[in-house]
Amino acid sequence: MLGRKSIVLALVLVLSLGTVTFAQTITFWLMPNAPDAIHVPWLDKHIAIFKEETGIDVKYEIIGWDAAWSRISVALLTGEGVDVFQAGTTWNPQFAATGGVAEIDINEFGGAESFMKANLDSTTYKGKYYGVPWFAETRALFYNKDMFAEAGVEPPNTYDELVEVGKKIVEVFGEGSAIAIAGTNAWDLIHNWAIILWAFGGDLLSPDNKQAVFNEQPGVEAMNWYVDLVRLGLASKASAEYNQPQADAAFISGNVAMAFMGPWNIAGIEVDNPDLNYGIVEPPAGPAGRAAFSGGSNLVILADSPNKEAAKKWIQYLLRPEVLTDYTKNLTHMLPTTYEAYDDPYYNEGVWQTFKKTLSYATAYPPLGVWGDIENAIVGEYKQILSDYVEGKLTDVQRYLDAAAGQVNRALARER
Amino acid sequence: MGQIAPGTPPKIVRRLQRSRIAYLLILPAVVCMLLVHYGPMIWGFMISLRDVNVFTVRDWMNAPWVGLANYAEGFDPAGRLGARFWRSLWNVTYFGIVTISLSYIIGMAVAHVLNRPFFGRTLVRGLVLLPYVTPDSVAYSVWRFIFQARIGLVNKWLLALGLIEEPLIWLVGSRSIYAVMTAAIWKGWPFNALVLLAGLQSIPKELYEAAVVDGASGWARFRYITLPSLAPVTRTLILMSILWNFNAFNQFHVMLGRDPGLHADVPSTLIMREAFQSFNFGVGSAMSFALMAFTLVFTIIYLRMLQPREDRRGRK
Repeated sequence: MLGRKSIVLALVLVLSLGTVTFAQTITFWLMPNAPDAIHVPWLDKHIAIFKEETGIDVKYEIIGWDAAWSRISVALLTGEGVDVFQAGTTWNPQFAATGGVAEIDINEFGGAESFMKANLDSTTYKGKYYGVPWFAETRALFYNKDMFAEAGVEPPNTYDELVEVGKKIVEVFGEGSAIAIAGTNAWDLIHNWAIILWAFGGDLLSPDNKQAVFNEQPGVEAMNWYVDLVRLGLASKASAEYNQPQADAAFISGNVAMAFMGPWNIAGIEVDNPDLNYGIVEPPAGPAGRAAFSGGSNLVILADSPNKEAAKKWIQYLLRPEVLTDYTKNLTHMLPTTYEAYDDPYYNEGVWQTFKKTLSYATAYPPLGVWGDIENAIVGEYKQILSDYVEGKLTDVQRYLDAAAGQVNRALARER
Repeated sequence: MGQIAPGTPPKIVRRLQRSRIAYLLILPAVVCMLLVHYGPMIWGFMISLRDVNVFTVRDWMNAPWVGLANYAEGFDPAGRLGARFWRSLWNVTYFGIVTISLSYIIGMAVAHVLNRPFFGRTLVRGLVLLPYVTPDSVAYSVWRFIFQARIGLVNKWLLALGLIEEPLIWLVGSRSIYAVMTAAIWKGWPFNALVLLAGLQSIPKELYEAAVVDGASGWARFRYITLPSLAPVTRTLILMSILWNFNAFNQFHVMLGRDPGLHADVPSTLIMREAFQSFNFGVGSAMSFALMAFTLVFTIIYLRMLQPREDRRGRK
């Protein structure tokens, strides 16, 4: 009796071991790139197809952006918890600098030339690749066609024109009705300023990434231009406390005529205010031309993952043209990162044409390990500028930019 | 304590022998404390002595030894981080003084009301606890909305009452700390009320009866009976509040974001940004230890106060 029992037990053990070795499972973390109601079924469907093809099962978890940062940090430091994960483009170099993410042979994913340059740059650290671009996003100028018509203005082509157009809108619709901007509560404050800084001919760092240069003349002008939006009444004083979703909501609700927003906002408009009559144009030009910020997400493999090969296959699957286009076009409204995906005629129409064009000159931030420090320093002083402005204490933005530059230079000195 | 007879083991050994079972009983808890609390603390202290940053964190044991340099950076009032750290300590102290005292006063007033017999008292006592049991994230998110400049209720009321002429911006700049204080007081007084109510109920009725007979006024009864009787409860309450206060994080993070700005940055938010955002764990740990030293001062005061008077006298 006992003998038979142990034979059965041993059999069960062998069988279960067998299944473990056969069905390899990888863990995948991603962010809420689309509403769960459509995101989850899409993932389930494609994971089933992928499993059918490769025998690899994908266990996924959708994690909010804030929580994702801490979860990924822990995984990087401990070397466990996840095999492959989504990382914001600005996160990738800092993660790579820790040594916690696996180096990528980009040729296994279609080669360097198949990806949009800015997105590919964001996966690099010290000239090596540590991620694969997944999807891209960039901010363009959304405008309310009805409000523009009523004020008798056309979408602005330059930042000077934007101010002129804004003044006319304010005359018709009142103070704060021209443009919705995010303030001190926006985690992406730096992105909003960077595109103006670049258009004014400035940059964040010197070409060799050794020194801060955003406190030079173009930086001061760009910052003054931003503060002027509030000073001139084009943006509400209350925007000083806005986060990005609040600023977006002011535009989406139809109360404000302009906003710098991204493709992901289109889905929000479709849900919250489908009747909004809006258009999208490229970011206006500054004295140095047009500039845009290239953001988005990359797929990254944990250095200590025992399932690197399986993780690679999953990334390759997600990047297949038909899968990637479906994910970006129909689900997330983000933009693909491969040039090939833009062959789809869809991207030559309407607003997508605008985003495609904007992305063609969009740039990424320098891939540095100390990027977290740099962003903290700039955003910290930027917040102080807005905060002091609303309290009537703002004198000269130069002082704040110099303080931020000092901190950034100290951080850059630590870069290896 | 009696005289030590010659030949008996030293006092400490006798004490240990006498309490052997007690020690055995607390052993599991002590082991857990060592593992869960003191282990990570020692670990954190070691990190604070090394240059643990984004480049070295994965192999922090081999990160360059920098001695007290991280402490110097965190404390140097001339440096950006040091200046910010001192400011954050001041912010949290100011925040503590206001919220702890006002929560106590409101709690005391409510405790007095609840100590009187009235219909539905039990229900009200339960309801009073509602703010206290509301999760921080929910409560402070709502307060953030209440303080919003354009749509917030605070500005709406102030405008309606004619106290202000245009909406004030509460969540940015020097006013922001007051917005957080208001929310924190709202959240904090029920606990004070609960504890003080328990204290009130333990005061013998006879004391008040005797005072009435002696012709003591309401104020005199409060001043000479209630307050002294509540002293032990008050001490514990205030000191616990101070200890919690120094670690304040949720209210600031939820209401003002990752970087609450110069006027409302507190040590916890600053340390989080430095350590977990920028991966400067060395400096972050150093600042955490400095913060712990601050709290330790109050803990020592607290423990001394908790000690029964006779015991303290006996040790002299």
